[in-house]
Amino acid sequence: MSLSRLARSFSSSAARRLATPVAQKPVLNKEFKIYRWNPDEPATKPTLQSYTIDLNQTGPMASIRILDALIKIKNEMDPTLTFRRSCREGICGSCAMNIDGQNTLACLCRIDRESGKDTKIYPLPHMYVVKDLVPDLTLFYKQYKSIKPYLQNPNPPADGTEFLQSVEDRKKLDGMYECILCACCSTSCPSYWWNQDEYLGPATLMQAYRWIADSRDTQTAERKEVLQNEMSLYRCHTIFNCSRTCPKGLNPALAIAKIKLELAAE
Amino acid sequence: MSTRSGLQKEVLSLYRRALRIPRSKPQASRARWNLMLRYTFRTQASRASPNAFSTIEYLMRTGKRQLDTFENASIKDCTVSGEMEAWDKTQGRR
Repeated sequence: MSLSRLARSFSSSAARRLATPVAQKPVLNKEFKIYRWNPDEPATKPTLQSYTIDLNQTGPMASIRILDALIKIKNEMDPTLTFRRSCREGICGSCAMNIDGQNTLACLCRIDRESGKDTKIYPLPHMYVVKDLVPDLTLFYKQYKSIKPYLQNPNPPADGTEFLQSVEDRKKLDGMYECILCACCSTSCPSYWWNQDEYLGPATLMQAYRWIADSRDTQTAERKEVLQNEMSLYRCHTIFNCSRTCPKGLNPALAIAKIKLELAAE
Repeated sequence: MSTRSGLQKEVLSLYRRALRIPRSKPQASRARWNLMLRYTFRTQASRASPNAFSTIEYLMRTGKRQLDTFENASIKDCTVSGEMEAWDKTQGRR
């Protein structure tokens, strides 16, 4: 079939040819107040900029998320609005931001349609801002790197195949390996706000425990030794903001408590 | 001897760190490095007024990150734009 014929066959489903005309949806305006700051003008203070969009023109009601609204604003109203996004289904962790006071992923966060109130969107709190909603995560990644987040075992299996693990040992990693490092938990933790330079933060500590708990890893003692000081681990005062905010429903506070238990039991 | 504030000392040490970078680069490119670093520091520094502390701190952070990159030994040369050369002539020395 030639291309032009193919195109014609698709165009026949246009709305005007349907038997019943599609009813015009009512206008449902929603105001978004978004944090704006431009690094090209470092002397000007950050501001909240307001955008009003019609939610019924943004997408199907059941599936529309904050990220869809942001993309609509960027496409149709203000191309200078800057934010990170990638997978739009909560698996990459790029679009972490502070929405109505809660750190979460914009691609998973539903839009409040009923209350008629505006929605405020800020970058992750207490992080340096690169531009608008983009935080500088350099330190966060550096901390993650510092716990050596990879399998350390100098004695690979003799037959040259993979390390084997029992079903029970594998189960210990559930609820930790799913972490996507969106930094929502770390940036919601007051201890992390005040001691970012020394305290590792919930996300990094949960990954530290993920490798301590791994039956295939032989460097467990060294990994614990690194955490055995006042700041790295013990700045956690079990505030539980991390577990409350985690957009993936994980429990970093539990992992930190388990590290504390193992260190205390030594 | 004037007493300098902590922030002023930090800015000066950043500039000192920048000016030491050309020494680790190949002889042929040192003049270019020197001009590029002086130009970048001076133009950025003139963007902030002396009492806009948060602006100065922001410029320091971005500057530090740039220097971290420039100090990498695998970076051997840099480009000098016409703008930088024109700026150099207005400085009235060298």
